[in-house]
Amino acid sequence: MLLVLSEDHKEHLAFLPKVDAAVVREFGRIALEFLRRGSSPKIYEGAARKLCVPVDMVQHGVEGLMFLMTESSKHMISEMDFLDSVLALGFGDELNQILLQLYLQHHSQIRSILSQLPSNLPAYHNLEWRLDVQLASRSVCQQVIPMLTMRLSRVLQTDPSTLLHLISTLEAALSAIKTSHSRRVLRNIK
Amino acid sequence: MKLHFRPESCSFSFLSGITDDFSIFASHSLCACSTVSAPRLSPLLLLLHTPPPPLPHATSADPSRGLVSWVSLSRKMELSESVQRGLQSLADPSSFDQSGFQVLTGVSFRSLLSSHGDPGVLDQPELKQIDQILLKQCHTAAITFILEAVRHNADKSTISSCLEELTFSAERVEIFYSAYEKHKKELERLLASIGRRRPHVNDVSWRLQYHMKNSQVDKVNEPFYLISLNTENEGSSEDINFTCTMEQLQVEEIILFTVCLPASNLLFRC
Repeated sequence: MLLVLSEDHKEHLAFLPKVDAAVVREFGRIALEFLRRGSSPKIYEGAARKLCVPVDMVQHGVEGLMFLMTESSKHMISEMDFLDSVLALGFGDELNQILLQLYLQHHSQIRSILSQLPSNLPAYHNLEWRLDVQLASRSVCQQVIPMLTMRLSRVLQTDPSTLLHLISTLEAALSAIKTSHSRRVLRNIK
Repeated sequence: MKLHFRPESCSFSFLSGITDDFSIFASHSLCACSTVSAPRLSPLLLLLHTPPPPLPHATSADPSRGLVSWVSLSRKMELSESVQRGLQSLADPSSFDQSGFQVLTGVSFRSLLSSHGDPGVLDQPELKQIDQILLKQCHTAAITFILEAVRHNADKSTISSCLEELTFSAERVEIFYSAYEKHKKELERLLASIGRRRPHVNDVSWRLQYHMKNSQVDKVNEPFYLISLNTENEGSSEDINFTCTMEQLQVEEIILFTVCLPASNLLFRC
């Protein structure tokens, strides 16, 4: 799959051939740091001062690089496809190789960062539990009521017979993934 | 394995402060009322009528011994003066003839079990001859006694000896006890339902989905589960939804199965 880069994107990346290979590598490092922790305008200003270019140009260059990396990682494009996509920018071989190395070294990291972006559905983290036995209350002086208290997103309670039902239902859920139908779907959709 | 107590099951000192106010309120409403209708005191209010047992010493080296002494203290049924007087009047054939006694016994059990207060609960033809204030006092005494008996899980000998001390004839004890036996389970359920609870999980439903891609990442290609726990809290139900992977579901199931189930089986055998 080839990436199709927009004209704006190409324009922003056009800054990269104008600087040294070392500067491009530094921009690559900054781009990854910004993907991990968020961007910082001070860095752009510092770099712009050192290179004697407007801040905008540096910012666009780094952001263009970030976008190139995230799009490539998102679609998991192959080495060949990456090089072919970047050819459209008209850069030299050395620059293409630097970009390729940046992609190959960091694409799995970038993918895991992307997958941590907030989703709509609450996800399971852990289950804390406690077994209580109520022996008495103000209204009944002698009781033996075992109950399981759990914390998922909230504190919940259940009794042993419902617990048995929950377990058998979840077992059925787990066995659903082992059916031939599920296996066929998992095998064929790649 | 730790045993935990919830606040309303053991903090009598907190609740007894409120008890005094409520019991004053309740006795005022009983005496001032001159209409035929009987106030339907909720079971909770009647419980607050009876003084709670004193707490054992807080600093006990062996907490389980403290528990046993607390439980055994609360075994004894304590009836206030007004309840004893009301029961004695109920036992007296000159105040209540046999049919009046039977009707009032039945009415007392019914008024505890019905979900809505009925202002005309004492409007029975057999009770028309009786002084209305005395009638209400005896009705309140009877339902207080019934609740105390259920609360302490009183057996036949306890109830018989208690009523005989209050001058009940053997026949009247028998009538009362057979009604008690008939309604005991339902009353126990009613009393056990009083109290704060956390949301209770009743059911679980699941959905297996195959995650292909999303707006941030392409080619995810992972199966995942959408689990929905149906919970209920004081009548209102709510679904708690969350996603989890197959591995997480396996871990969750292992925790529930291997750790919690044997622990709760152990308790059943105790």
